[in-house]
Amino acid sequence: MSKGYFWKRLLRSLLSILIIMLIVFTMVYTLVPRENIFFEDSTYRKLSSKSDDKTEYVYSTWQKLGYLDYVRINDYALTLYEAASPEINEAVKPDSKESKDFVDLYTSKGYTVETYLGNGRYYAYKDVPVIKRMALWLSQLIKIDTPMSVKDPNNPDLKRGLSFGRTPSGGLALIGSGTTHKYLLYTDTNFPWIHQNIIKLNFGTSYPTYQGMEVIRVLFQSQGTEVKRPVTFETGYESESGIIFGTLTYKEKLDRMDKKKFVDNYATYETKKNQPSMIGTSFLMGIFAMVLAYGLGLPFGLLMARRKDKLADKLGMVYIIFIIAVPSLAYIYLFRYLMTSAFDLPTVFTTYGPGDIRSWILPVISLSLPSIAGLMLWTRRYVVDQMNSDYVKFAKAKGLNQGEIFRGHIFKNAIIPIAHGIPASLAGCITGAIITEAIYSVGGMGKMLPSAINQYNNVMIIALAFMFSTVSVLSVLAGDILITKVDPRISLSEKAGRS
Amino acid sequence: MENENKNLNDLFTFAEFDEMESEHIAAPRYSYWKSVFRTFFRNKFTVAVAILLLFILCFALIQPMRSGYSPIVTPNINSPELKFLKPCKEHIFGTDHVGNEVFDAVWAGARNSIIISFVCTGINMIIGILVGAVWGFSKKMDKWMIEVYNIVANIPFLLLAMILCYVLGAGMKSLIITMTCTEWVIVAYFIRTQVMIIRDREYNMASKCLGTRTMTMITKNILPYLISVIMTYVARMIPNLISYEVFLSYMGLGLGTTNASLGQSISLYTSYMRGYPHLFWIPVGVLAIISISLYIVGQRLADAADPRTHM
Repeated sequence: MSKGYFWKRLLRSLLSILIIMLIVFTMVYTLVPRENIFFEDSTYRKLSSKSDDKTEYVYSTWQKLGYLDYVRINDYALTLYEAASPEINEAVKPDSKESKDFVDLYTSKGYTVETYLGNGRYYAYKDVPVIKRMALWLSQLIKIDTPMSVKDPNNPDLKRGLSFGRTPSGGLALIGSGTTHKYLLYTDTNFPWIHQNIIKLNFGTSYPTYQGMEVIRVLFQSQGTEVKRPVTFETGYESESGIIFGTLTYKEKLDRMDKKKFVDNYATYETKKNQPSMIGTSFLMGIFAMVLAYGLGLPFGLLMARRKDKLADKLGMVYIIFIIAVPSLAYIYLFRYLMTSAFDLPTVFTTYGPGDIRSWILPVISLSLPSIAGLMLWTRRYVVDQMNSDYVKFAKAKGLNQGEIFRGHIFKNAIIPIAHGIPASLAGCITGAIITEAIYSVGGMGKMLPSAINQYNNVMIIALAFMFSTVSVLSVLAGDILITKVDPRISLSEKAGRS
Repeated sequence: MENENKNLNDLFTFAEFDEMESEHIAAPRYSYWKSVFRTFFRNKFTVAVAILLLFILCFALIQPMRSGYSPIVTPNINSPELKFLKPCKEHIFGTDHVGNEVFDAVWAGARNSIIISFVCTGINMIIGILVGAVWGFSKKMDKWMIEVYNIVANIPFLLLAMILCYVLGAGMKSLIITMTCTEWVIVAYFIRTQVMIIRDREYNMASKCLGTRTMTMITKNILPYLISVIMTYVARMIPNLISYEVFLSYMGLGLGTTNASLGQSISLYTSYMRGYPHLFWIPVGVLAIISISLYIVGQRLADAADPRTHM
């Protein structure tokens, strides 16, 4: 495969991702009524009696989420006069000269001007176009941590720079000052041993569910209860804590406990918990299921092809038809019912939790059932097609035995289209399995998209759509590259003579 | 002797020399569709399944008309002795949590599920085949259609389903649009690959050299070749769509509470799985029988549609 082809293809894939995102943005921000985002918001419900506060809350939330641009008369007056001056108090009144200017100015800018129901003051708002909204989202997507990142007016003489040192748990680290994270690069004993905090993806803050938490943390942070251990802090203070020192970030206002533990303003941290993150749980389960599917599906498919029209083939077909024809909801329930009555296995994941191997067995097998059927079906199809080809007849004529022909000739050719699907199934692991996870109550990714849509968590929807579509588009590309590696005859670019 | 000869000669008349008759080639008569049906009906098992399927389809269409079942009409809701009855003589499939006949619910649901899956399969296949055939034929179009495929196939299905359900309201219309508005591109992609494989075969090159128009080549040279592949695809798609419907109902995005459907029944009765397992397994069983017989008949029809099996 030529390098030019690869880059052009990658560029087009990225373009596709952008268009997918544009469609998702349009759907989420224009087709769903914006009032719905407050259905799950407890603050909104408490405010419902006092109308001005409610209006204020509604519009500032919409502004925060990027629906519209919101300006109050107070903001306008602050650009003219000093804060808390008597002129301001006059200016914000509905009948003042400034209010008239405000109305004229923002009407001419295309804003809709309205008044608060209670005090009659003016405010103006204008919808943000979807394209602009998306551009803003994209521009904030990648966050690079530099020594100029922290802007804290209360701490003007914060040192800015980088240095090398050690984390309190003993690992090597690149320490930043003025950066959001204290440890930009550090080593510890946890996989993958070297961690970085310099480049981070920023999908925004979750709202209205998981309120105030960054989306990326909702998905990647470990779940469950804190695992405490005796810790000596930088100040020498000793305590039981689950702190991960590598995650220390800047905190503007320190409380008494923070001052006891830390020597500087880096006092916000994540704690170690006893369960893997949502994405980790789904990925682990997906990987196990995938290994199982390929480990069983391929040999069974081969066996079916070799015993074509005999008992093994027919049994295999019965299984495949069953899986195709019966909805997954039903066969997973049936499978769980059969397995739990035959063996001593838990019906739900949460009985023993992720630490126990028994919790994983049933969900993993359930998840692999459809993939096994699919792999069996296609392996059989490809191998049967190869068995009828001329080169196999020739190999037979040369005197090779059945096993040699299968291993050396048929399998190599039949595996090519199977290999094409491997990156996609690997990537599919992160999206989670909606039904399997729901039936076994596994805390994975599967529930995230449906619940985000149900609860109007737009930030989450956008982040998930971006992650899933990127992974899936790129895995199609990876699959194409993989088959050119498995089979050198295949060429993806047009110029190579094959079409 | 002479008399006899004369009599014999009277029996014969001289035939005229017919130029047209000498051009006639005596080949066995071959009719494609007749051969398809002959091959199809050759297998006793297939015929049995086909009859069963036909019976189920007719039953699913007729029974709901007689029973007039609707999930929101619950006349027995206040009589606890009529709820959760096990299957017996008076109640063939038993009764559910509001005292309705499961038998009526299942067949009313089966009718809607069958209608939805047939309509969606029809729409998907027609659009998919038309687009896919042209896409596979034109190399210029391929470069861009691949990206269209990448885009349309990657719009999160669940998001689309939820938003359509929201904008159009839950019901038959929104469900059909949900199941067709991205699915056609997957069919088109599949057909495109199949067309690409056979478009460069010798007979097509010869046909092109003789000046056949592109549309004629697609409709006369290529698509007939694909009938068996398309039939296989249809045989898989119909049960797939029924499963989809179950999945969407499970997520609360199906036909809405006013309409019966198999998916609706299955997801509703899931919560009674422990105490009253028959409530769950009866709709699943009916669904499985419908799907499996549709699949088998479709597969056999696909085999029969392949001219190579006719000899």
